[in-house]
Amino acid sequence: MASTLRKEVVGKEYPPYAVTVERGKIKEFARAVGDLNPFYLDDAVGRASPWGDIIAPPTFPITFRDEGADTAAFLRDLGTDISRVLHGEQEFELHRPIQPGQTYLCRAKVLDIYEKTGRSGPMAFVVRETTVTDGSNEIVATLRHVTVVRL
Amino acid sequence: MKYGRVYVEDVRVGDDLPSLVKGPIKQIQLTRYAGASGDFNPIHQDDEFAREAGMGGVFAHGMLSMGFVAQALTDWAGAGSVRKLGVRFAGLVRLNDTVTCRGRVLAKTSKDDTHDVEVEVWAENQKGEKVVTGRAVVRVPSRA
Repeated sequence: MASTLRKEVVGKEYPPYAVTVERGKIKEFARAVGDLNPFYLDDAVGRASPWGDIIAPPTFPITFRDEGADTAAFLRDLGTDISRVLHGEQEFELHRPIQPGQTYLCRAKVLDIYEKTGRSGPMAFVVRETTVTDGSNEIVATLRHVTVVRL
Repeated sequence: MKYGRVYVEDVRVGDDLPSLVKGPIKQIQLTRYAGASGDFNPIHQDDEFAREAGMGGVFAHGMLSMGFVAQALTDWAGAGSVRKLGVRFAGLVRLNDTVTCRGRVLAKTSKDDTHDVEVEVWAENQKGEKVVTGRAVVRVPSRA
């Protein structure tokens, strides 16, 4: 059931969205990973730290979703559905820690789509980038996502 | 040496990072990770859905394993030290798998007061099959 993706999605920029980080979400995320580092979980340790508060684990920005958007829209734009996608690669570039109470602005765009044939048949690789900036418009994190679509 | 802190003077190219063993992976952890991350793809929760999708059953979020790799880095170099982490999800992590995260120092670069350590990172299952491979950069302090 080979199909192709809509390659015109390449270059598409999604509307920017704001995310305000809740203290409890940082702790919930760290506990879900089983990472009980006190710099993520203990407010007193955070206050005494160089950052003045708890910080989020490195992969926490993956939780920065556009709550106002239909998350299935991206897959529809591509011409696929959730049962056919896998997470292929992920990269985080972190310029400073994510902290509770801060509001960040996220901008996502599709950089590239390429196809390859692997062991399990034809696949497409969709490369997206999300840039996260803080209140003073400084980049705090850049995420690069590669989604694999089984065609 | 949990929640460690390394200094640039203590790091040598070729050093192995302390390994971090996670798991065995249980469904409840995948459900918990779904809630914490917002990734509710049923392929990680619903065995029937995952079989019908041709995946042979439920498997863990790649991002959960990446979180384990990040933990291995910060347990070694300290919270807040990771400047870059990039991985490829090389294999599926199944229920009851044990995931062992490892790493090796590839390079050290110092410029003024900034000391970056480049590390090869990977995670393997109990059969020694790599499930995550990647690279990271951690910024570490100097004793000077």
